[in-house]
Amino acid sequence: MRKTLILIALALAGTAAQAQLRVPFINRQPAQPVLQGIDALRVEFATQSGGSTVYFGTDSTGLGAPARTVLAAQAAWLRRHPELIVRIEGYGDGGDTRDHALAVGAKRAEEARNYLLLFGVPAAQVSAMSWGKERPGLGRAVTILVR
Amino acid sequence: MKRLTLVSVLVAMSGAAQAQQPAAPTVTVIAIPPLTSPNTGAKGNEMLALGWEATQLIGTDLRQTSEIMPLTSKRDDYYSYPEVTAPTFSKYRAKGAKALITGFVQSRSDGRLTVGCYVYDVEKGRELMRKGFVIGPGDWRRAAHKCSGLAYTAITGAPGIFDTRIAYVAESGVGDARVKRIAVMDSDGGGHRYVTGPEAMVVTPRLAPKSEQIAYVSFMGGTPHVRVKDLEGSNDRALLSPGSMSFAPRFAPDGRKIVVSISLNGNTDLYAVPAEGGAPARLTTSPGIDTDASFSPDGNRIVFESDRGGSQQLYVMNADGSGQRRISFGGGSYASPQWSPDGEWIAFTRRGQDGRRIGIIRPDGTGERMLSRGSTDEGPAWAASSRELIYQHAEPSGRTGLYRVAIDGTDPRQVTIPQDGSDPDWSGVLD
Repeated sequence: MRKTLILIALALAGTAAQAQLRVPFINRQPAQPVLQGIDALRVEFATQSGGSTVYFGTDSTGLGAPARTVLAAQAAWLRRHPELIVRIEGYGDGGDTRDHALAVGAKRAEEARNYLLLFGVPAAQVSAMSWGKERPGLGRAVTILVR
Repeated sequence: MKRLTLVSVLVAMSGAAQAQQPAAPTVTVIAIPPLTSPNTGAKGNEMLALGWEATQLIGTDLRQTSEIMPLTSKRDDYYSYPEVTAPTFSKYRAKGAKALITGFVQSRSDGRLTVGCYVYDVEKGRELMRKGFVIGPGDWRRAAHKCSGLAYTAITGAPGIFDTRIAYVAESGVGDARVKRIAVMDSDGGGHRYVTGPEAMVVTPRLAPKSEQIAYVSFMGGTPHVRVKDLEGSNDRALLSPGSMSFAPRFAPDGRKIVVSISLNGNTDLYAVPAEGGAPARLTTSPGIDTDASFSPDGNRIVFESDRGGSQQLYVMNADGSGQRRISFGGGSYASPQWSPDGEWIAFTRRGQDGRRIGIIRPDGTGERMLSRGSTDEGPAWAASSRELIYQHAEPSGRTGLYRVAIDGTDPRQVTIPQDGSDPDWSGVLD
């Protein structure tokens, strides 16, 4: 987990950081390989699209401008990786009742999904589900790379 | 049905009985001398001991109600078997009792027990109701609950809730490690057991009318969906074909249909599905979120919540989806309605400035009243008596518990369960 965070921080710092990436990091833990496979792709996805998570206002299922920016970048990245499958997990609000929160989470996930489709991501590449208010991290929709 | 017509005693009595105020809660004092037995010798002593256990349980049951106050039972307050049907009323009148329970426990030659219960109006010296049961020796608790129910019905006219079950979601752990399992228990907390394992997140258990099945929502496989499980045995199946997201199940009063919410492309509508599975029939088509449907006791109407008008409100419609009409106009949002078993009230959760609170409203939208203090209450479920509700209250720490509140306005009280609990449901009277 700590390694992932370091990678994100360095990548965000820009191309200059890319060069430093190998040296201090690998020297510290030579036996550990750099993130590979799905984990590496997840980091790349999150960094290049400005995050895997979009946020909603309380009781709102509408996408704000920051959310649309993130989703457009996610869509661009996903179009370059048509072999990958993502799932969008929607979350309701803590102040809501159990079942309405489930429905709100589903609506938020679907709004995010529809925005990806609008930007040309094939429908089969993106699924959606809802956690309602059953998991921490309310008021958001998270795009998760499945495989 | 014969009703007990008594001069009732005011709860906050500060002297002799006075002219009654119509809205004041009233309490009927009842005497419960120990159940007797026609058996003699060692068997007789054994039956008297069992009868004493049952007598104490009846007292415990009735003490939990807001309508009946049992006098303390004394073990030496003995009466003979013939006196079961011919009690000495003057003795109980002198103790201030308005009602009386007598009964017996008899050992049968086949090893089972006969339990008889009789409820009397002490002032009029008249029998109100009687009931007899033949039971296995291990079922004496249920027989005692049936006696309590008999007395409750004789005095209030409403079904007793002592032989009923409560289902809820048992919660443990924190954050991502929160484990939720469905638990079922008798309404007095006895017979507590878990009916789902810790492997899948579950919410909203809903008991079938006779409690033989339970419908609930599981996140098993990634998508929340309605499942139906037999309470006895291991049969546990998805109600609908895989893929679609379904939730908020509730049985029709005849147990043959289950109304659910299905979320398709982000839009949530209500559907009726045969309880044994089959094609869902769509009931609502609004572009908003329609969920938390509950049938009227005659099965002809459904109350549900919808945010089609901008905020969550309560709507009533016919069971086929026709005639949809909003009934809540009190300000704030209204959610999770449930129709009372006697048809008179709809319980709901209201979201407003003061958080989430439990209230009741008439099916025509009049008579709204708030019952719980909030501010994080939700999910009311009716007792079979239609006089009491069970609901979930969350602490600021995130811990959850179950509470009972009577609709006469007395204070809510916490239900004792072995761990945190949410999403309670309360069965009808068991057969």
